Amino acid sequence: MSQVDASQDDLMRLLIAVSHEDRRAFQQMYELISGRMYGVCLKLAGQRELAEEALQETFIQIWHHAREYHSDRGTPLGWMMTIARYRTLDLMRARKVRQHAGEEHLEHVEDQRAGPLDESLRSAGATQLTGCLDELSDVQRDSILLSYYKGLTHDELSQALSSPIGTVKSWIRRGLIALKRCLEK
Amino acid sequence: MRMTTERIESLAAEYVLGSLHGRARRRFERWMMESGRVRQEVWYWEQKLGQLSAEVPAVEPPKSTWRAIERRLWPQTADSVERAGSGLRWLWPSWSLVATAAAVVLAVLIVQQPVSAPQLSGAIVQADVSDPLWLVSESGPDRLLKLRSVAASAADTGKDYELWIVPEQGQPLSLGVIPAGGVHQVTLTDEARTALSQSRTLAISLEPVGGSPTGAPTGPILHVTKLYEL
Repeated sequence: MSQVDASQDDLMRLLIAVSHEDRRAFQQMYELISGRMYGVCLKLAGQRELAEEALQETFIQIWHHAREYHSDRGTPLGWMMTIARYRTLDLMRARKVRQHAGEEHLEHVEDQRAGPLDESLRSAGATQLTGCLDELSDVQRDSILLSYYKGLTHDELSQALSSPIGTVKSWIRRGLIALKRCLEK
Repeated sequence: MRMTTERIESLAAEYVLGSLHGRARRRFERWMMESGRVRQEVWYWEQKLGQLSAEVPAVEPPKSTWRAIERRLWPQTADSVERAGSGLRWLWPSWSLVATAAAVVLAVLIVQQPVSAPQLSGAIVQADVSDPLWLVSESGPDRLLKLRSVAASAADTGKDYELWIVPEQGQPLSLGVIPAGGVHQVTLTDEARTALSQSRTLAISLEPVGGSPTGAPTGPILHVTKLYEL
């Protein structure tokens, strides 16, 4: 079974076993989802070392907190991916990733309306969220996707999109509210 | 601060997005602990925005990540597994030196010999040198390991080459200093022979004249080679 094919039922079964400290189930789960999870950590952190550490922290947290999962938190995979994002963001903030260096992903912004967001992710993002991202303005959508995929802070976004920080904050805030209204329709 | 619905919505969304940070993030986490309504809102966004993760291509993490997780969760078990794992572990710090400096590759050598028991043979080669540096052969009955120099050049002044068996477990066993020219023969002890027949791995390190003063490699590992059974 490949990582992509892992069904939520399989993961649910494994997660329950992990909550009973079943190490084999834990390893099986790692084999099923670590690739997808590492992809997200790596995209967010932009560097392998930090992404690897975040992946470790995530699985350690899953081992200790498996029994805290419940269906209100989404699918088992979604819950675990959320943990991975939070751990990566924590490490990025703790290490002050990008604060002093690493501006390379921001440099080409000035000439390009598209900004530092991969085209593939922009269009992919649009197919998710039941098309609601399409209803946002370009800057609203880009600032949300840049925060989500790259973990850019308001400061970094304001540089990346060459706009004052207050403007960026309001794009995000209004964009998210508009997104929610659309999703609720 | 008053929690209007809109305020909870947007703070929860920004919390999940990650754009809420520093003190505001910690303050919000306290609200989450205090309020089920705030938590519900966070979970809502985790699920909605989480769909975006599905679009990120998977990347296989390095094997070392799983081992690190095991080591951190179960230090004792993981250690014993590692001890039983590979005697090559001590090589890694020096290995990168070899890889960049010499680009060592391995080669098989077919030597015509009447054989009764399996015998080991191989070559120590270097990528940018067309001839092997040394040819290695084992003769079973008299327990001799023979190294014939072909293209090896003398070690730097004040240095010697030292030959090692890298066992599957534990520390490398010294087979003494080897000359850059001529033929060098070593009689293998029982222990050395067993170790070599199991791991079939030899290494050469650069040591002070006369060999390592400590009994373990101290200098850079110049070559590692795996021998083949004939």
